[in-house]
Amino acid sequence: MTVSIETTREALIADRPLPSTRPEGHPLLSVEGLSVSYGDASVVHDVGFTLERGQSLALIGESGSGKSTVAKSILRLLPTGESTVSGSVNLDGRELFGLPERQFRPLRGRLLGYIPQDPSSALNPVRTIGSQAHEAAALAGESDARVRRRDILSVFERVGLPDPERVYASYPHQLSGGMLQRVLIGLTVLPRPALIVADEPTSALDVTIQKLILDLLSELRRDLGISLLLITHDLAVAAERAESIVVLKNGIVEESGSSSQVFSTPTSAYARQLHADVPALNPDRYRSQRGAASGTTPPAALPAVEVHAATKRFRAGDVDVTALDGVSFTVARGTTHALVGESGSGKTTAVRLLLGLEQPDAGRIEVAGTQVHGQTSAGLRGLRRHLQLVYQNPFTSLDPTWRVGRIVREPLDRFKVGERAGRARLVEQTIEEVGLPASVLSRRPGQLSGGQRQRVAIARALIVRPDVLVLDEPTSALDVSVQAGILELLSRLQREQGLSYLLVSHDLALVRQLADTVTVLQRGKLVESGTVDQIFARPAHPYTRALLEAIPRTSPGLAQS
Amino acid sequence: MSRSYGRYALLRAAQAVVVILLAYIGTFLVISVLPGDPITNMLRDPQNGLTDDEIQQIVAHYGLDKPVVIQLILSLGRFVTGDLGFSLQSNLPVSQLLGDALPSTLTLAGTALLLSVAIAVVIAYGVQYLPSRWARGVLRSVPSLFLSVPNFVVGLILIEIFAFRLHAFTTIDPDSAAATLFAALTLAIPVSAPLAEVLIANLDHESRQEYALVARSRGLSQARLFARHLVKPSMLPAVAMIALIVGELLGGAVITETIFGRDGLGTVVQKAVTSQDVPVLQAVVSLAAVVFVTVNLLADLASPLLDPRLDAKSERDAKSERKVVVPV
Amino acid sequence: MTSLTGLVAPTERIRAAGRSAVRVPPTVAIAAVVIIIVLLWSLVPWLFTSYDPSVGDTAEKLMAPSGAHWFGTDHLGRDVFARVVHGTASSVTSALVAVSIGLVVGSIIGLASGFLRGAVDVVLGRVVDVLLAIPSFLLAVVIVSSLGFQTINAAIATGVSAIAIFARLMRAEVLRARGSVFVEASYLQGGNRLHALLGHILPNTYKSVIALAVLQFGTSILVIASLAFLGYGDPPPASDWGLLVASGKSYATAPWLIYAPALVIVITVLSVNRISTWLRRTQ
Repeated sequence: MTVSIETTREALIADRPLPSTRPEGHPLLSVEGLSVSYGDASVVHDVGFTLERGQSLALIGESGSGKSTVAKSILRLLPTGESTVSGSVNLDGRELFGLPERQFRPLRGRLLGYIPQDPSSALNPVRTIGSQAHEAAALAGESDARVRRRDILSVFERVGLPDPERVYASYPHQLSGGMLQRVLIGLTVLPRPALIVADEPTSALDVTIQKLILDLLSELRRDLGISLLLITHDLAVAAERAESIVVLKNGIVEESGSSSQVFSTPTSAYARQLHADVPALNPDRYRSQRGAASGTTPPAALPAVEVHAATKRFRAGDVDVTALDGVSFTVARGTTHALVGESGSGKTTAVRLLLGLEQPDAGRIEVAGTQVHGQTSAGLRGLRRHLQLVYQNPFTSLDPTWRVGRIVREPLDRFKVGERAGRARLVEQTIEEVGLPASVLSRRPGQLSGGQRQRVAIARALIVRPDVLVLDEPTSALDVSVQAGILELLSRLQREQGLSYLLVSHDLALVRQLADTVTVLQRGKLVESGTVDQIFARPAHPYTRALLEAIPRTSPGLAQS
Repeated sequence: MSRSYGRYALLRAAQAVVVILLAYIGTFLVISVLPGDPITNMLRDPQNGLTDDEIQQIVAHYGLDKPVVIQLILSLGRFVTGDLGFSLQSNLPVSQLLGDALPSTLTLAGTALLLSVAIAVVIAYGVQYLPSRWARGVLRSVPSLFLSVPNFVVGLILIEIFAFRLHAFTTIDPDSAAATLFAALTLAIPVSAPLAEVLIANLDHESRQEYALVARSRGLSQARLFARHLVKPSMLPAVAMIALIVGELLGGAVITETIFGRDGLGTVVQKAVTSQDVPVLQAVVSLAAVVFVTVNLLADLASPLLDPRLDAKSERDAKSERKVVVPV
Repeated sequence: MTSLTGLVAPTERIRAAGRSAVRVPPTVAIAAVVIIIVLLWSLVPWLFTSYDPSVGDTAEKLMAPSGAHWFGTDHLGRDVFARVVHGTASSVTSALVAVSIGLVVGSIIGLASGFLRGAVDVVLGRVVDVLLAIPSFLLAVVIVSSLGFQTINAAIATGVSAIAIFARLMRAEVLRARGSVFVEASYLQGGNRLHALLGHILPNTYKSVIALAVLQFGTSILVIASLAFLGYGDPPPASDWGLLVASGKSYATAPWLIYAPALVIVITVLSVNRISTWLRRTQ
C-alpha cells in the first residue's frame, strides 16, 4: 500500500530477483479478511493467514472449501465480472488488490508463480512447448532468443526431464502427465519468483509420480529460496511438505498453525475428523471389525472368485498390446482382495474380464465355481445376480433421467425378483441400509452429492443380494471425509452380509485399511501378491516398494498422536 | 504420421467419390421416378413445334423409352465421361450453359464467403472483448437475428435502402462491383450467423481453459493472450464449418440472384425448374454436390495438418480400437 | 480451472438445480407469448380480424398502415393484416409437416445407425452423406419441382432436406448415451438391449432432438417462405407469408406490403429460435 508506483517500476527494471521493498522479517505474504462471492453465494469468508519468506504453507480443505478460490484470488485469476472479492492481500510489501492490472501484470510470473492442477490442460495444445516456454523465459528479462533457449533447456534439465531438446520441440499431448508437470514447474521457477502458488499440483498424476513431483518441488524450494503456497486436499501431504497449515471448510478457516501442531494436536473438530479420515494415518481403522467377518469363514471353502492365468490382448493399429498377461488371483469368501496398480496396470481390464464385459484370450475365470466365459446370455445374467459392480464415478454410473427409487429397483425388475409390493419394500430397506433417508427415492442423481450418489450405486448393487461386489476405485472421485463414510459402510455391509469384495485401487493406504489380501499389477503383469501384512511389512518387488513410499510419511512423533 | 495420414487421405477421397456418384443417382431418381413425365410433356408441347419423328429421335437419344434402371446407367455413364447432355429448353449443351453462368455465381459466392467470415469474426471477437457489457449483449443477439431473417427480405431491404434511397448501386446493372457487393452481403448475412455462433462458443471455451489461465499467470496481456494462444485453437473447428457454409451459399444463390437480377447458376436453376428442364437440373445439382464434397474433403484433409492433436488422435483411436463384445 | 459448480457447497448446488428448472427468463416468456398468438392465428384467424382476406375495396387500395388497416392495404384494397393472419395456418402447418418428416425419418435413421452400428451404420451413413452433399435449399427446389408447385409439396421437400441434420444429431446422441457408464451398468443389472434402448438411451437423447426440432421449425418457416417467394407454393389468392412478400415487391410505393409480412416472419422465427436455445441450455 505504501509503495509508490516509481519504486515498483524501478524494481522491475532492476536485476532479478526483485529486491524486497520491505525490511526482512516481515511476512512475504499476508492475507487478511479475504472474502469471495459468486453472485449471492459466498464461497470464501474472512480468510486470513501469513506466509514467511522461504517457508511453505499448505491450504487444505475438501471440495467446496474455497481453497482454490483463495489461491486464484491471490493470483488475481478469478473470472472478472462473475466474482466479488474483498479484503487485503499483501505480497512483498505490495497491496495486490489495490494495484491496477497494468501494474500487477509485470509482477505475474516474476514475483508470483502458478502451478496448476492438471498439467495436461495447462499448456496450449496447438503450440510446441518450446514456443510457450519462451513466454516464461521472457519474464526473466532476457531479450536474446538464443540465450532464452539455453535457459529453457537448462531448467528442463534441472527439473529432471530426459532429453530437453526433444521436450522443447514437442507438443503437449506427446508428453506424459508427469513430464508435463515437470515442464510447468520448470517454467514457473525459471523467472525465480518469490512465491509459487501450487493448486493441487499432483492430484491428476499417478501415485508414484506424485511423490517424485512433490520431492522436486521441495528440493527447488530449498535450493532457490522460493516460498510455496500449497493447495491440497490431503492432510498427510500437507503435514509432510509444509511448515504451516490452514484448514478451510465451506470458505471459513477452521484452524491454522504450524504443521506439527495442527497435525498432532488439532483443536477444531473438523481437523480432528479429517485426521481420522485419512487412510494413510489410520491403517487399522476397520481392522477389528473385519477380523470377525473373515474369521468365521473356513479357509477351505470354494473361493468366491478365481482368476487363473488370464490374458487379454488388444489390437492397436499394427501391433498387439497385452493389457493383461497371465494374471492369477483368488478372492476368498467373506474377505476383501485388492488389485493394486497405476494407470495402464491392467486392473480395469481384469475387472471387465471378470464381469464378462470382455472375452479373455487365454486363462480361466470362475465365480463361485462357475466359468464366466462361454456362457449363454441367460447364464451370464444368472451369474451377474451374484456378481455386482460399483463404478468409480457415481456421476456417470447413474442415469441422470431416472429417479433414485427406480434406479435402485432396476436390478429387481430386470432379474424379476419378488412381486411388485415386495420390491418397493426392498428398495426402501436397502436405501436405509446404505445410510440414506427415504426422501432421496424421489430425487434424481443430479440433486444428490457425490457421496450420496455412490451410496445409491452401492444400494443398486446390493439389492439383488450378490455374493461378490467388485469395487472399482469406489472412492477416488470423492472427498476424504465422504470416502471415510463409504468405507465405513462397505466394511459394515461385509460384516453383516458376509460379502466378498474385489477392491480395485491405486491407493495402498486405502487398501491397507480395507483389504485382507493384495495383488500388485504393473503393465499387465502380476508383480507381487500376498496378505496385506506381508506386502506392507516385507515388500519383495521394487515397484511395490515405490508404491509404499508414495504413501505420505508421517514422522514418528506425529503418528503417535 | 505420413503413412497413416496417407491412408486416411485415400480413404476420405474414395468416400467423396462414392458420395458424389450416389448424389447423382439420388437426384436422377427424384427427378425421373417421382410422378409426372416432364420431358415428354415438354417435347409434346405444341410451342416447340417438334414432329413425332423428331420426338422419337430425341427420346431414343436419351434412352427415354427404356426402363429407368437402363436410363440411369446410361445417364451415369455420360456423367462420368463429362457429357452433361443438352438443355431441353434452349438446345444448348448443358456444360456451355453452366460454363456461362459459373463465373458470375463464383464471384458472388466467393465474395459472400469472405464477407460471412469477416462478419462472424467481428461479432465473435466483439462479444468476447468489447469493453461495454451492454454492447457485448447487443452483439451477442445479432447471430440469432441474422438467423431469423429470410434471405429475400435481407435482399429487398438492402435494395430499398441502398439502391432506391441512397443510390449506392442500381439494380439495372447487377454486375457492377457495388451491386455484386450488396448481393454478396444478402447471401452472407444469414450464413454468417452459425459461423459466428461456433466462433463465440469456441473462443469462450478456449479462454476458460486452464492453459489460458496459466498464460495469464505469466503476465501475458489480454491482447497477446488472444493473438498468441486463442486465435488458432478457436479457429480450427470453424474450418469444417466454413466448408459446410459453401453448400448454403450455393443454395442461397438461387434467391439472391433472382432478387438482384443476376445471371448465374441460381437463375439457371430457376429457369430449369419453371420449364422442367431435367438435364440442366440434374447437372446443377451434381455440380453443387461435387463442389460441396470437394470443399469438405479439403477441410477434412487440412485439419490434421493444422491441428497437431488430431493427428495423434487418429493414431490413438486406431491403437485403442477395441472389439467391443455386446454384453448381453 | 475448477469449475464454478465445484466451488459451491453441495446444498447450494441442489437448490440451484431446482431453481433453474422452473425459472423462465423474460425473453423466453415473450417468445412463448408470440408463438401462442401465431398458433391462435392459424387456428382461429377470424377472432383476430374482421376483414375478408380475399375481398378488398379497390377504392382503398395501397393505403398505408393505419388504425383501420394495421398493416395497410394491397393493390386490390385487401387488408394486409387479414391476409397475414389468414395465411398463418398454411405457413405454420407446412412448417409442422416439414419438421415432422425431418424428425421422424431422421431420428429413425440416426437411431438405427447409432444403435445397430455395423453395416446398417455404413449404409445409412452414406445416405445421410448424400443428403448433406446437396445444398438443402437446392434439394428442396428439385424435389418441389418434381412433385409440383404446391405448398404441401414445398413442405415435404423442406422436410426431406432436413432429414440429414436430424439423423446426424440423433446418431451422435445415441452413440454418446450408448457408450455411457450407466448403460453398461444396466446390462450388468440384467437388462437387455431393448431395455437399454427404451429405458436409458432414448430418454437421454430426446431433449436435444426436441431442441433441434424447435429450431428446425423456425428454419422450415424460412425455407417454405423462400419457396413461396419463388412461386413454388400455392398460387394467389393464397396468402402464405413468403408469397405476400413476393407479391408486395412489385409496389415500390407501398413498402409495408413487404415489411409487414416480413416482420411477422422475423418475429415468429426469432421467438422460435429463442425457445430452442433455452431448451438446449436448460438440459
